Amino acid sequence: MQLRRGLDWGTLTPLRITAKVVADGLYSGGHPSPRRGPGVEFGGHRNYVPGDDLRWLDRRALMRHGRLLVREFETDTDRALRLVLDASASMTYKSAAAPAAKLAYAALLAAALGRVALSAGDPVALDWIGGDERRPLPATGGREAFERIVRALEDARPGGDLRLDRTAIERALAPVARHARRGSVVVLFSDLLDLPDGALERFAALSARGRVLIAVQVLDPAEATFPFRGAVRLRSSEGGQIVETDGDSVRSEYLRALDALTATWRERLLAVRGRLVRCQTTDDPVDTVRSVLRAIEGGRQ
Amino acid sequence: MSFVVAAALAIAALIGLPVLAHLLRRSRAREQEFPPAHLVPQAQPVARQRRRIEDRALLSIRALVILALALLGATPLVECSRLSLDRSSGASVAMAIVLDDSLSMYAKSQGGRRRFDHALAGARELLDSARSGDAVTIVLAGAPPRLHLAATTDLEQVRRALGECEPSDRATDLSSAVKMARAALQRLPHADRRVVVLSDMADDPLPEGQPIAVAPLAQLRTAAPDCGIVQAERQGRRVRVNVACNTASASRDRRLEVVAQAAAPAGDGGQRVGAGQVIGDAPLEVRAGAQLLSLEVSQPLAAMDVRLTGGDALAEDDQLAVAPESAALMVAVIRDPSTSSVLTGGATLLEQALAALDRDIVMRPLGVLPDDAKTLAPFALLIMDDPPGLAAESRTLLAEWLARGRVALAMLGPRVEATQLGSTLDPFVQGAARWEKSESDGADVASLGWLGAAAESLARLEPQGRVLLASAAPQGSQVTARWQDGQPFALETAVGRGLALTTSLPASVEQSDFALRPGFLALLGHAIEQAELRAGPRRSQAGDSWTFAPSPSVTVTGPRGPLALQDQAGDSPEKVVSVANAGRYAVTVGADTHERFVHRAEREILKLPENPDDVAPASSGVAIKSRIDASADLALLLLVLLTAELALRFAKRPARRKPDADATAA
Repeated sequence: MQLRRGLDWGTLTPLRITAKVVADGLYSGGHPSPRRGPGVEFGGHRNYVPGDDLRWLDRRALMRHGRLLVREFETDTDRALRLVLDASASMTYKSAAAPAAKLAYAALLAAALGRVALSAGDPVALDWIGGDERRPLPATGGREAFERIVRALEDARPGGDLRLDRTAIERALAPVARHARRGSVVVLFSDLLDLPDGALERFAALSARGRVLIAVQVLDPAEATFPFRGAVRLRSSEGGQIVETDGDSVRSEYLRALDALTATWRERLLAVRGRLVRCQTTDDPVDTVRSVLRAIEGGRQ
Repeated sequence: MSFVVAAALAIAALIGLPVLAHLLRRSRAREQEFPPAHLVPQAQPVARQRRRIEDRALLSIRALVILALALLGATPLVECSRLSLDRSSGASVAMAIVLDDSLSMYAKSQGGRRRFDHALAGARELLDSARSGDAVTIVLAGAPPRLHLAATTDLEQVRRALGECEPSDRATDLSSAVKMARAALQRLPHADRRVVVLSDMADDPLPEGQPIAVAPLAQLRTAAPDCGIVQAERQGRRVRVNVACNTASASRDRRLEVVAQAAAPAGDGGQRVGAGQVIGDAPLEVRAGAQLLSLEVSQPLAAMDVRLTGGDALAEDDQLAVAPESAALMVAVIRDPSTSSVLTGGATLLEQALAALDRDIVMRPLGVLPDDAKTLAPFALLIMDDPPGLAAESRTLLAEWLARGRVALAMLGPRVEATQLGSTLDPFVQGAARWEKSESDGADVASLGWLGAAAESLARLEPQGRVLLASAAPQGSQVTARWQDGQPFALETAVGRGLALTTSLPASVEQSDFALRPGFLALLGHAIEQAELRAGPRRSQAGDSWTFAPSPSVTVTGPRGPLALQDQAGDSPEKVVSVANAGRYAVTVGADTHERFVHRAEREILKLPENPDDVAPASSGVAIKSRIDASADLALLLLVLLTAELALRFAKRPARRKPDADATAA
């Protein structure tokens, strides 16, 4: 897998400026942070969610409005970026019209995001869902961290069936919940197609402790448009399901099902101040990273 | 196996390719990886069914395309058994088709198809191989042979003429037909001439000559066991039936039945008879050949049919109408045995002469002329030898009888001078005729040319006397013969539709040698012919022609409906009709209606087809196998099939996709 080959660093240059603007707010004292959390200067109220530190529960507001509100402050926080990549078998799919497999595109996005974060001084960690011989990286910073991330991504060997291995999500997200510090940004790169039941809830639960959750749904253009015509026999990458169907007559029904899946994730993440970014492997990665950065910014506000 | 056959088989084997491709294509759709397959619903059965139907249509069209291609390639090599004209050069051909329409052509082959239909199909195949410029003539070989269509280059006209041909009960006369066909070709300018005989060859061998006559249809010459009724005649309470069987097997377990044609009331001790009721029967002898059966009927009826039970290859000759005894030409002879008999006694010379003619007549000797019309009516010819004169009632009766188309011959003798008071010989002579000593020794042969060669015999008659007709010739009479001194020897006087013939000598050998001369027989034969011409032969053979004197209304209705009368050849005003089928005919001439009966020829039933090897000369210019060139039709079919496939594919074409979809489509 040659990650650098498809990455247009020149195109990312304006992205880096935007990222720097976002990253500047991540360092304590560097500049005002839009991030709400424990600190010294009151930043407003928000609804209580389970897991919030009870120390910041506003009792007066409870008595006045009868609602559980948490007080927030502009604070200096650890702005670590945790990249979680889905390396299951479905991420290796590449249709004829796609420039690369979904995992390659996701890795490109992850590397770009990591570089932006590292450039801003934020530590970057790397975790995996599924995959063989995966090599997670703890949150580290510095120029060397980017190289380590790139190598880890290059060495990734996709595999595994998440639909059969229902504990894979638990095993992947447990370290994240354990090590991600308050205010961390967790970005999940996945097609969201073959994740087992409960994966969404498990991922949404990471939003505790002020973490920002971003799910980047990476789709192959064939998955996004369903270009098949006539009689086709489709085999699922995970789960071993085989469907024999007529492409023309089921296209709209498939697209509705896909949209419903995406909408479920989007709404659920919005409920925890998270964001969903949907992209195709044919999309310009600069635009996609910019969308992710905007989503991160939106999740912090 | 030749290389060509092997190559044709190899091409034909290609028809399996679209079938194989179709099976491979429809066996299972190509499996593809698609991660979100669990989001894709199963296909609708209706769509699959439609696709299956479309696939079958495409498969059929493609298979047909390959088949058409194989046939197109093999077309010049395909041969089939059909008649065609072989051409040694590119010149046009003159062809005479001798089509046998005789009785035996009704016989059915094993396939249930009549010989005549096979022959007709062969004639059409020959026409198909004819080209523009070829001349074709059609001769029908049923007796008597007829030129059905004069030689023409209009092939469509020939086809129409063939469509008018029908088999009949006629006998076969191939020999005359072939001669007629050769004569028809003789006048044509074509150098290449052919005579093709489409017949079962149940006749004498074809005559030698040029061009060689060829009979290419061997399937017509298979033997067909048959028994047929030749003729049937009532005689009192019995019915005499002539039956012919060409093989003994055809006559086995078969009977001859006499059935009533119509219901008849009880009478004369008989019981009531219903239509179709069997009133007499007898078994056939189990043997080949002709048989004469005499059946006694329980009740003699005016209208009866005979039929054969069982079946054979030819059902058309298993039934026939029974002719009454009076169907033969009735001839009344009024003579004086004391003067006209030979010295040894017995029949008179006149009666012996009539018998010697061997004509189908029934002779009735009468002493005097009947004095009532009912007695005279059955007779068609009245011959009076030296009549003494006719009373007024007899003259009136005779005139009325003659006017209805009868013929009377009066051979006048010495008694013309002994007529009683009030009696005359009108309409034979007018006034008193005189018998005188003859000054001439015989008749003028030149004036008797209409008698043919027999006229020479009348040159010396050594007459004792003669009747002077010159002064007694009736008004409107015509002298048909003269004495050598110019006196009238014979007269003809038209009376209505009838004819009165008069001779100036009697039949008595005491007066002359007239009755001893062949010319006498010829004269009697002439009288019979005139009687037949007017009264018509009551019994004829299929194929005979009936000639009718000019009459305002003559209709002939046969067993297959009315017949069309045609003009006699030449300037003759007489009408003629040919009776082709056996059975009962109703003839109406003016107010007179009578029945005639047509029978079959015995030989036509008995004669078996000739050996094919003897009647199909080789190198005759007619080929039985022919190559078929259907390239044009097959090419058109191929074009239609290709167009159909294009149309089907166009109808099944995928809908136009959007540009962005194109970019992502697999």
